[in-house]
Amino acid sequence: MGSVKKGSTVVLVGTKKGGFVFHSPDRRRWSVAGPYFEGMPVYHMILDPRDGRTVYAAAPNPGEVWGPALYRGRLGSTPALTKGAPRFREGSGLALSQIWHLEPGPADSPETLYAGVEPAALFRSDDRGDTWTDIEGLNYYPGRDKWTPGFGGLCAHSVLADPRDPKHLLVGISSVGTFESRDGGDSWKTENRNVRAGFLPNPYPETGQCIHHLVWDSAGDGSIFHQNHCGTYHRGPEGGAWTEVTKGLPSDFGFGIAADPLHKNTAYVTPLIGGGNRVPPKGQLAVWKTTNKGRTWKRATKGLPGPGAYMGVLREAMSADARDPVGVYLGTNTGQLYASRDEGQSWKAINMSLPPILSVNAGLAL
Amino acid sequence: MDRPVLAREIARLGITVHIPPALRTFTSGQDEVYVEAGDVAALLKALDAAFPGIRGRVVDETGRARPYVNVFVNEELVRGSLAAVRLAPGDAVHILPSVAGGSIG
Repeated sequence: MGSVKKGSTVVLVGTKKGGFVFHSPDRRRWSVAGPYFEGMPVYHMILDPRDGRTVYAAAPNPGEVWGPALYRGRLGSTPALTKGAPRFREGSGLALSQIWHLEPGPADSPETLYAGVEPAALFRSDDRGDTWTDIEGLNYYPGRDKWTPGFGGLCAHSVLADPRDPKHLLVGISSVGTFESRDGGDSWKTENRNVRAGFLPNPYPETGQCIHHLVWDSAGDGSIFHQNHCGTYHRGPEGGAWTEVTKGLPSDFGFGIAADPLHKNTAYVTPLIGGGNRVPPKGQLAVWKTTNKGRTWKRATKGLPGPGAYMGVLREAMSADARDPVGVYLGTNTGQLYASRDEGQSWKAINMSLPPILSVNAGLAL
Repeated sequence: MDRPVLAREIARLGITVHIPPALRTFTSGQDEVYVEAGDVAALLKALDAAFPGIRGRVVDETGRARPYVNVFVNEELVRGSLAAVRLAPGDAVHILPSVAGGSIG
């Protein structure tokens, strides 16, 4: 993987044709390592923030057609297959088709890793990805036969593991909605109150919402930002129903959302027109930032392409580092990787020639 | 070896399974192995007993062949239930990735 110096800022990029690791000592000059998993789709590649050295990646087994797999390695080496991947129980009728999201567990459980998969389900590993526990309370949830896939499939693409409480988990499923567990995954309840599903006869059903992504608010009190097919939302530390915070944004549609790791109530989004036209409004890629839980939004375009820009930003393709000032990163589905070193005010391309970008994960090499 | 002798020898060994390059990590590099089984589903289980993990690459948790993975018996593509396809000593099984050009991905 090439040498990545301790203290470097690291941006791991999963693309339709391999994974890349960008790293920089100063966030001005970037080096790249990779591609890894050449020619294969890498849905998610992350640096484990608990040790700043372990890389996990969700990609197919070598040869691509032989099923989904998980890879693990140290930053600086090529990730290798773990001993096993998530599997549904025999007789369930379910078969793993894709791993969408990898989520590290709590800091005091450094070997715990969650995987959100397609068909929609959650798995937990307590040995860094070698063996997996089927979270049956969610994976065989009563009524799942009525769940309807989103355009990207019936996928559990967002997983939040509460750093304050290892038994508190949230999962976002397209197009079903958010599920929440407070007992470590034994039991789950839907939590979609006040979330619109404008494409259904009842726009506020219990389930059926087309959630696009969930991220913790760095307030650290359990607050959450949520980008949906129908609006942007925030939920406070008390939990419960969501508050729509779309007002002030140019559309109620988008995928990419990143929370600012150092400033509470602060997040970045990339609104798209929506419907079948998933491109930036007015052909101008823009990042919108809130510093007050979505009450107001501020647009930034400096350094971003447009007018005449017609790309999209996918759900996993925004991330932020925890340096001061915070760095924000976004990847496009046309293969451009952009970075901001000033908390989203201005942007600069790191690379313009990647395959379509599926995921971006920023971290610090320790 | 003349043809009848060769055929008898192959039959004695069981069913010949041709292993694609991507799966030879399981078979220590062997490109063909010999297995005894009465049908294709049983063959994959027998293969897995000898080379743990290989079956999971060919079929998913439901026992169905993965999309874009083809199993041939004597050059005939297996369709539908793998357990319904009977095997006899001397048969040849090929496991091959299919060609999937034209995807927008």
